[in-house]
Amino acid sequence: MNDGKVGVFLSDCGNVLSEVLDFNALVKYVKEVSGVVLVERSSEFWRGEGLQAIIDSIEGGKINRVVVAEGLPKLSEVNIVQAVEEAGLNPYLVEVIDLKDHCAWPHREAPSEATEKAKVMLLAAIERAKLLEPIEKLEFPALKSALVIGGGIAGMQAAVDLADLGFEVNLVEKAPFLGGLAARAGRFFPTDDCAICIQSPASDVKTITHTSRKCVYRSGLSEIRNLNILTNSTVTGVEGVPGNYKVTIEKKPRYVDELKCVRCDLCAGVCPVEVPDEYNAKLRTRKAVYMNIPNVHPPVYVIDESVCKFQDCAKCVDVCPTGAIELEQKSEQTTLSVGSIIVATGFQEFDSSIIKEYHYGDYPDVITNLELARMIDGFGPTGGAIVRPSDRKPAKKIVMIQCVGSRDRRYNPYCSSICCMVSLKHATLIKSNYPGTDITICYIDIRTTGREHEDYYERAREMGIKFVKGRPTEILRDSGTNRLIVDVEDTLLRRFLELDADMVVLAPAMVPADGTRELAEILGLELDEDGFFKEYNAKLRPTETKLRGIYICGGVTFPKDAPTTSLHAHSAAIKSAKFLTTGKIVKDQRTAIVNEEYCGDCEFCSVTCPYGAVSLVQTSEEHFVARVSDLLCEGCGVCVGTCPLNAIELRHSRPNQMLAQMGALMSANGTGKPLILAICCSECGHTAVDSAGMAMLQYPANVRVMKVPCAGILQVHQFLEAFKAGAQGVMVVGCKSDGCHYEVGSENAGKKVELAKLLLKEYGIEPERLGMFNMVFIEGDRFADAARTMTERLKGLGPLKLAGVS
Amino acid sequence: MGFGKDVKSASLTFPNVVRSRLGGETISLCYQCGTCASSCPVAKITASFNPRELIKLSLLGERDEVISGDAIWLCCSCYNCQERCPQKVEIADIMYALRNIAFKEGYIPDIYSEFASALLDDGRIVRVSRFMEKRRPSLGLPPLQPTGVDDLRKILSATGFDKLQKKEETS
Repeated sequence: MNDGKVGVFLSDCGNVLSEVLDFNALVKYVKEVSGVVLVERSSEFWRGEGLQAIIDSIEGGKINRVVVAEGLPKLSEVNIVQAVEEAGLNPYLVEVIDLKDHCAWPHREAPSEATEKAKVMLLAAIERAKLLEPIEKLEFPALKSALVIGGGIAGMQAAVDLADLGFEVNLVEKAPFLGGLAARAGRFFPTDDCAICIQSPASDVKTITHTSRKCVYRSGLSEIRNLNILTNSTVTGVEGVPGNYKVTIEKKPRYVDELKCVRCDLCAGVCPVEVPDEYNAKLRTRKAVYMNIPNVHPPVYVIDESVCKFQDCAKCVDVCPTGAIELEQKSEQTTLSVGSIIVATGFQEFDSSIIKEYHYGDYPDVITNLELARMIDGFGPTGGAIVRPSDRKPAKKIVMIQCVGSRDRRYNPYCSSICCMVSLKHATLIKSNYPGTDITICYIDIRTTGREHEDYYERAREMGIKFVKGRPTEILRDSGTNRLIVDVEDTLLRRFLELDADMVVLAPAMVPADGTRELAEILGLELDEDGFFKEYNAKLRPTETKLRGIYICGGVTFPKDAPTTSLHAHSAAIKSAKFLTTGKIVKDQRTAIVNEEYCGDCEFCSVTCPYGAVSLVQTSEEHFVARVSDLLCEGCGVCVGTCPLNAIELRHSRPNQMLAQMGALMSANGTGKPLILAICCSECGHTAVDSAGMAMLQYPANVRVMKVPCAGILQVHQFLEAFKAGAQGVMVVGCKSDGCHYEVGSENAGKKVELAKLLLKEYGIEPERLGMFNMVFIEGDRFADAARTMTERLKGLGPLKLAGVS
Repeated sequence: MGFGKDVKSASLTFPNVVRSRLGGETISLCYQCGTCASSCPVAKITASFNPRELIKLSLLGERDEVISGDAIWLCCSCYNCQERCPQKVEIADIMYALRNIAFKEGYIPDIYSEFASALLDDGRIVRVSRFMEKRRPSLGLPPLQPTGVDDLRKILSATGFDKLQKKEETS
């Protein structure tokens, strides 16, 4: 664009910068640059009179490109850009640079060198500004409805929050009843109240009195009009984009009409099929037509189709007083349109039978914590009695084993975080109900990190529960008496113990629920190495995923206790509500665009894009081209760096813009030291340069900084271009590879740098002239250090000899 | 035990020495749960051997105590501990690593120096008695062949095995 009329606004930050930089020389220099029609100097331009000067010159039609040199640009830029937009100019035609932290402060010991650097920084900004093009803001519609997957504590709480806020909510649960793992837990710490109650999806709108909690069966969950509960249902497909997802749901037949069933239990009374009740730890049997426990939700019987004899029996049909039983029901597929999705599918117990030496599944008196919880639950199969499954006699000697499959590199390397508390809760509950019970807990470390959690440990010791620090090697069974023997070393006493037990309770690891991997695939999200869903950012965005509109909460990200799960669920609900509330998604078009003429449909971009924003579209019989979704694209440029044919560009970081900047930054030296181009990502890399300046750490002025959205945008040939432009060395500064703001950018850049080093060698250029550096914002010292080291290294190497370039 | 003093006198690099040895790489993963000890058939019958304790002592840098003692030679290499270790510490292999370090330093139990000289003499660690040789045909076994001990000696000499000497003061 040759008609750029650039206005340059130089802030001297209340004249403090002029102690280092020669502003008269800068003004004089800038005035000579072609395209510059206005140069102003003031103490600040991001507010007050300074900002008004920018507005006036835009409104007066004097300028159509704005370059501002201002302190703290990451904050001041927001004000400037907003004002520019209000003044009627496209806000993306602004370039803000930082002469303070990027030049005056880090080079204050060499003022003349700093001034020379400031000149080329301004030149680079002007050259880039001239090439900038207007960027449009786009609006996408978002449906005001949500899907919540998983009907445990997390899912129910999130669903009710969203429903109370007025959104249409669909809550999908795979099992025939709501409650999930939580409902089976009997009682919860830290209050020891019943698990079935604490899952309190009480609608604030429906509840007249605000009580501390409401039980699931009297919460009126099903009475919330805008909450559609789908039990016995699974999500089988998700298509579409944030704000507009098409979700396919398969609803298995219940064979009982939810509207007609009156819970009279006559059907179960006549049902001849009796099977072990999995829900109740197989400690009792149930019929083919059943409810888990009397107070479940929905309060409707269900027929287990895997065991029911259907028309060969049909006794229940005859006996049902309301005609609720419908044996001819079929699976139904429904499609829902939702704007946002919350994943709350939780966790489950690890299968302890894999650990052969503990004989779970083999010895009936070896049980898990969840099975013990069913015994403790008054609604459970034993009515609260603690018995040996083998003969139903009271279990008087109990040994508990912690970390079964947790902290175990053969199975799950992580600490499952809640099992210590679960075991302490169980042990103290049993001990207070049956004080004569002898309980020993074998542990590696006891971890009680929450509020009031340590009290459990203390109380357990006071109650006489014994603790053995040691992990048992094996559970043996006396063939004569059938009693269990736990073989363990008390590592504190250095003594081998053979603990005699009626019953052994394992504290298994908590692992992602069955189906988590399949669901992740359906949603297009990745799991961490342990199989849990990955947060977008564990500390600041703990319920978000890399896909806008899809949120995660509860045990699906990691094992959690009930209080933490509730917190997580409310957080996910508010994030989802924030996303849905305006009914639209506003996004600017600083996105990638494909030159379809060059595209060779290699698929590299669509595979690399962390956001699934690039897809291949068929244009003719045999030809496909890549196309970018402006809604999904986050503007990182990782696709640009991957494209072998240079067919993709970012609208706001075009190669010609970068080249112009490079050329300008390398156009003059003035330091006598070898010129270095530091290409910094806009996230951690560029801010690390800021923090070096803020801390006034000194590094030589021959280091010139160029900002790119993400280091992943860089292509190998761009390093060569930098050398051709006059750089003696090139630094690539990105986020830590596991902390890249765009998932894979930093890692990709690192690979690109290694590849480029090989090529440089071919061209006779020392590979040491190129280096990748990873740092975070606060590591300004690392940047300064890297800049100094690189300068010294290049001094040692001597001038660059480039074939074909003088 | 005067902890501070002992740590000072102990070699602080010993865990690194063990880690650098074949078989010793995983030693620092140990979190002292005792699964190894309760899995160990030797530890059950003698207090002189406890794999968990040997690992702890090694990690504390108690080099001399570990390599000059008898304990490391008592492992029967059943690998039960290694199978069951939740941290994938290669306990039995660590015992070999410790033995190798000890052997090099001259801490060699009598039985092992007998093995060594037997190996150098005729290529077998167990000397075959005439009685055993006579019984072989009755068990359907062929007569023993010469071991090619000359080639073996070359290898043992190239690796420095024949130079390994027992420390005078150990027995």
